[in-house]
Amino acid sequence: MAGTGEFVEADNAEAIITRIEHKSRKIESLLKQYKPVEALKTALEGSPPNTRDERCKSANWIVVHRAIMAIKDVDGMFSSLDPEYYDILMKYLYRGLSTGDRPTCDQCLRIHEKLTERAGLGCILRSLADTVNTV
Amino acid sequence: MATSLRLYLTCIRNTLEAAMCLQNFPCQEVERHNKPEVELKTSPELLLNPVVICRNEAEKCLIETSINSLRISLKVKQADELENILTKKFLRFLSMRAEAFQVLRRKPVQGYDISFLITNYHCEDMHKHKLIDFIVQFMEDIDKEISELKMSVNTRGRLVATEFLKQFV
Repeated sequence: MAGTGEFVEADNAEAIITRIEHKSRKIESLLKQYKPVEALKTALEGSPPNTRDERCKSANWIVVHRAIMAIKDVDGMFSSLDPEYYDILMKYLYRGLSTGDRPTCDQCLRIHEKLTERAGLGCILRSLADTVNTV
Repeated sequence: MATSLRLYLTCIRNTLEAAMCLQNFPCQEVERHNKPEVELKTSPELLLNPVVICRNEAEKCLIETSINSLRISLKVKQADELENILTKKFLRFLSMRAEAFQVLRRKPVQGYDISFLITNYHCEDMHKHKLIDFIVQFMEDIDKEISELKMSVNTRGRLVATEFLKQFV
């Protein structure tokens, strides 16, 4: 049972990575059209849910990172982002804050403050407590 | 510069407010024992995801939570050798008097300069928002203290050098 699970994982991992590459191309084109919020939405949806594979998570993180750094107007972003993306965005923000890279951290701190105002402390707690679906 | 400090402290404050949900939980392995689970890390179901909040390459904060305890480790900015020594000595001075602080940990976590351990008993005795205020205030004051210490060392060094070299003039 565990064996088949891992086999399915490996297969899925390749499929997921291809999907992520697809996504990153779409995001690049959206960013060229000055639609950073759309880019972020595309990056956040379809995040690999239960993959243990670090490569998939890193690949998705790179894509989300690109979209997050492209955002200039944080308030405007929140007015068009649906609440269902708040939790997953919070998880990615914490991942960004752990990198230690100055511009990433600045941007993540800015978005974190506004996101907490919008989504409340529950969002933070859900990202802390969710040990199953990590990013 | 000041904005990034404010954002960093706001982020830490919000994370602490969310993470400081502690309740009494007696040890599962040994009866009649009550241990801070974040220190032992024996049962993964009692631990939450640890979170690292970096302001830049030099300053960061690690927050680990469990069901009955919360550990906050800070790494303070150290620009040069002198600040390095001053920070180490100053924080060692504080850590040795951890009894007086109650929430301070005697030894910092590996890779960090100072650590706090907050248990459910602290939350029962003290107000939660006051504990968080204390931690954030501590972080603000540490930077000021270290700069003051550095300035006084430099001033004293300059005075001593001037006096000493006067005899050669």
